[in-house]
Amino acid sequence: MLFPLLAFIIQALLGKKAISGNIALTAILASTIISLFGVFLPVWNETTVLKKWEWFTIGEHTLYVGILVNNLTALMQLVVCIIALPVHIYSRAYMKGDSGIHRYWMYLSLFCFAMLGLTVSLNLLQLYIFWELVGFASYLLIGFWFTKETAVQANKKAFLINRIGDIGFLIGVALVYAHCGTLDLSALFGQTGTFFKGVDIGIIPALDKNTSWVTFAGLAFFLGAMAKSAQFPLHIWLPDAMEGPTSVSSLIHAATMVAAGVFLLCTVFPLFNETVLLVITIIGTITALSAALFALGQYDIKKVLAFSTISQLGFMIVGVGIGAWDAAMFHLTTHAFFKCLLFLCAGAVIHEMAHLKTKIQLDFDPQDLRNMGGLRRFMPKTYTCMVIASLSLAGFPFTSGYLSKDSIVITTYEWANHLGGAYVLIPVVLIIVSLLTAFYIGRIIFKTFFGSFKYRTYIKADMTFHEASKTMLIPMFVLAAGSLFPFFGPSPADYHRSWIMLILDTDSTYPSLAQAHVFIPALLTAGAVLMWLIGWNWYIKQKYPLSENNILVRFANKQGYLNEFNERIFVKGTVELSRILYAFDRHVVDGLTKLFSWFIRRFSVIVYWFDKHIVDGLVNLFAHATYYIGHLVRHVQNGQLQAYLGFALTIVVLGILYLLIK
Amino acid sequence: MGLLSILIFLPLVATLLILALPSSAKATYKYVALGFTFLQFGLSLYLYGNFDATLGGIQQLDAYQFVEQLAWIRMDLGAIGKLEIDYLIGVDGISLPLIVLSTLVMLMGVGASWNIDKSPKGYFALLMILNTAVMGIFSALDFFLFYVFYEIMLLPLYFLIGIWGGERREYAAIKFFIYTLLGSVLMLLVIVGLYFSVINPATGAHTFNMLHMMNPANYVDGSFFAYIANYHEVFGIPARLIGFIVLFFAFAIKVPIVPLHTWLPDAHVEAPTPVSIILAGILLKIGGYGIIRVCYSIFPDIAADTNWWLALIGVISILYGALNALAQKDLKRMIAYSSVSHMGFVLLGIASLTAEGVSGAIFQMVSHGFLSAALFFLVGVLYDRVHDRYIYNFRGLASLTPKYTAYVAIAFFASLGLPGFSAFIGEAFVIIGAFNAESMATGVPRWMAIGGSIGILLSAAYFLWTLQRMFFGQTRLKGGLAWQEALTDLNTREQVILFPALALALLLGIMPSLIFSNLNASVIQLIDLIKPYL
Repeated sequence: MLFPLLAFIIQALLGKKAISGNIALTAILASTIISLFGVFLPVWNETTVLKKWEWFTIGEHTLYVGILVNNLTALMQLVVCIIALPVHIYSRAYMKGDSGIHRYWMYLSLFCFAMLGLTVSLNLLQLYIFWELVGFASYLLIGFWFTKETAVQANKKAFLINRIGDIGFLIGVALVYAHCGTLDLSALFGQTGTFFKGVDIGIIPALDKNTSWVTFAGLAFFLGAMAKSAQFPLHIWLPDAMEGPTSVSSLIHAATMVAAGVFLLCTVFPLFNETVLLVITIIGTITALSAALFALGQYDIKKVLAFSTISQLGFMIVGVGIGAWDAAMFHLTTHAFFKCLLFLCAGAVIHEMAHLKTKIQLDFDPQDLRNMGGLRRFMPKTYTCMVIASLSLAGFPFTSGYLSKDSIVITTYEWANHLGGAYVLIPVVLIIVSLLTAFYIGRIIFKTFFGSFKYRTYIKADMTFHEASKTMLIPMFVLAAGSLFPFFGPSPADYHRSWIMLILDTDSTYPSLAQAHVFIPALLTAGAVLMWLIGWNWYIKQKYPLSENNILVRFANKQGYLNEFNERIFVKGTVELSRILYAFDRHVVDGLTKLFSWFIRRFSVIVYWFDKHIVDGLVNLFAHATYYIGHLVRHVQNGQLQAYLGFALTIVVLGILYLLIK
Repeated sequence: MGLLSILIFLPLVATLLILALPSSAKATYKYVALGFTFLQFGLSLYLYGNFDATLGGIQQLDAYQFVEQLAWIRMDLGAIGKLEIDYLIGVDGISLPLIVLSTLVMLMGVGASWNIDKSPKGYFALLMILNTAVMGIFSALDFFLFYVFYEIMLLPLYFLIGIWGGERREYAAIKFFIYTLLGSVLMLLVIVGLYFSVINPATGAHTFNMLHMMNPANYVDGSFFAYIANYHEVFGIPARLIGFIVLFFAFAIKVPIVPLHTWLPDAHVEAPTPVSIILAGILLKIGGYGIIRVCYSIFPDIAADTNWWLALIGVISILYGALNALAQKDLKRMIAYSSVSHMGFVLLGIASLTAEGVSGAIFQMVSHGFLSAALFFLVGVLYDRVHDRYIYNFRGLASLTPKYTAYVAIAFFASLGLPGFSAFIGEAFVIIGAFNAESMATGVPRWMAIGGSIGILLSAAYFLWTLQRMFFGQTRLKGGLAWQEALTDLNTREQVILFPALALALLLGIMPSLIFSNLNASVIQLIDLIKPYL
């Protein structure tokens, strides 16, 4: 886990000199080896490894940092490593010659570090820290081409929407801390932890899981997962995040980071009560459906894949919601392989299209499906890989996707069957979504690799449109192998026998239905084939029944106008509010200050006037009066004896009068 | 003379030296200032290294460290009793981090004033006086002494803004001065009231000793502020509540809280870069420190009653400051408003009255101290080069000045609370503490904590938006080619100043125990002091 961090630091120090990516590659290779042999094999189905160091003490609580490796985390960190390694190799060819490549490797290593840290975190706070760090690395990588306006908008949006989720997560952490006094994952959610069956383990009293704060905390954690795993309606950042390099999209926005939300839900699963689980299931279903619909209307190859990712994440979330988090983790693992592969294939195609674009100097969008077609003749190997991945995504037998997707759909059916009533809607919707999935992925394949190439005429002897390079193909082959069933289990049809499901096995509270194991896979497979036939008819035979301006197509293409809605209501609203508040601040709050000072100055003028006219006036009056009296008396002092005597007599008379009256 | 006194009065020596040097030695002033602040920084690190983290402090003098006590003013006033003012200084877990922070920010401030050429003698002399005053405030334990330092601090700041500031500097300076003075004059009344209510149990004389004021047994029965035997009331309002509000008002202006914050954007925008750094880095912390040391410790009963309101003010400051920052078009004003928002967290944390919240608040003060200093410094860098800081006049700076952009991005992300940086720890624990408040029954409801956490979202919004508007995209500058040439990347001096601040933010984000371990005993003691009144 620390290797990528080391690589990040070294590359940050080296700056521009580190362009080859060898350091990052070595680091991730070392991590993969360690994670497989040093961590995964010893821990898987064996003991839980727990190492901790004191971090700091606050109040009466001490927080620790450390590693917690149990079955769940061991699996997750292995998936991260195994996906990251091929992507690193692929990137060497894909990103070659980019002027900012030193930054690319640096960010990529940072991401790997954060993601691995996230998987093996000891407590919720540590998990939160890495949770935000992966978001940060994703921000950096989406905005990798920072001179591109759309990329910069996209990374801001991604970070802000993730921040909404982070706040949910933080609130959840705070609630758990406030009520349980600890954040330790194993103490809270382990087999003997607080939330597992509500056992009283001495320090922490047993909990009633139906109290309102547990519901709140559960919803808060789910909000965090919703943002990170792009659940409706917080999914809007993920399609925009496709502005980053394709290799990044494959690693971060398809295989690992977006799955972190599912991972979080699995980690804190014991916390959830019935209400929260139901909300999770419903949101997951809505996401799966809406994203599949939006995927139908996209022309950008990466955006179709992005919506496909969102839709599949919806499946996983449903898996968690119905309590089958083992199935969710299984789907997470298989999905990581085939979705990563899809992106890498798409990347290879885009790479060649972009080359062509610079060579023939035409201005077209290298990611637009409408510009592609008939590429299977030029890129047969890429084509094969992509088909394998697509089959896996559609859940065709003999692929890994078949196993994992069926595990979710069948379990959902069993769950709904057990509960009855309107719950049946959920598996029905999931089946419809599965069929839609087959359709849109068929659409990609047909549009990209079949039909005729729009720029065929430009391809001459000296301007070849060729297969991807070996460094790109080898990782793709590896992932393609991982998209087939033998990698996950001995049986191509029975998901119960795959090794992931055997170990993570959760107890279900509802009976299993034997017939569901037969008719659902059959229905899905037959439906998928039917969908491809329709697609073949529509796209290859040119019998497209809908016009481009059809209102439904537009609606899907514009992603249900959610972005516009968000822009208008929330973004504009906040900016407007801030403007109003600033005006308020300047005119009212500061205005009051100014009014106060104006008042004081006026008042001082009045006081001065008072001082000058009243206070000083009194003084002057007194002086004048004295002067005037003196002036009156002065007349006596005129040097004439009779005047003096008269004055003396007057005084004497006045004196006698005074004595008499007294 | 003890270490702490040396720490306080070292800058005063520097002032004298600068004043004594002839103006022909003009170029040496900054070296003198730098040398002395550096020495001071070293001393504060020594204090930090020799600090015993197990001792609490707060109301017990023997738990304070590096204490110095000298009889300062003794006067027999006949019938009223004896006047007793001590020179009493000491350090506990709450003041220690702030002292270290202050010396560091001062160092940055001196580094940022390297290019001051308008009468450097006066400038550096005033800066050093300010330095002394600040150190004094953080270590004074006698209320009279505290007040003296508090007033001394105003004077150099007034001149520093008023003389070396921008276009509307006189307006900003007078606004700042009057605002702060208003608070401190009222504070004086309460100090006198406290003086007449408290006696030193050892001598029987009235005293200004803050620690005696924290012990309810020292209050004279029937006196104005006594609260064991009787509650005085003025117009039906308890006298102690009035005293608390007046003191809080004085410090709240400094923090600043909404709606007493309007001096801050003006002062920041008009002040020269180094003064902005010191204002944001140190002076705002005096507000938070004062609330803890004075309001909460001397009036624990009222603190327990009013914390709902204080937390409310904190939340309003967080959201109001953040939204205002979002509306700014002047980069420096935006950062000034972001300070209002971030200091709101301090108030919310203190008001939560939980160990997590109070520790988080102090941590946030320290973290905001050098992060805002770094931010203001970064704005100064831009302003130095093109004399403009209007956000929309810049675009795509990343291609032009990569190093500068990297530093700005790190500082922005550190300030918006990215984990791994110090602001995250501060904000997260304030939020956690505020949530915990309901479990501890301190009276701060949960919705306030949620309100505070929305501030975290908004801070991400305004920082990222600014980053996107100014630094990313294609390069486009209002000043055209002339600006393009003027906008050189960071030079070594600037990097030397910025790097430690950001490195420290990272270090504290990864190892918060560097602060928490020294803080913890004091915080627990403070909570214990207040707890009986909850």
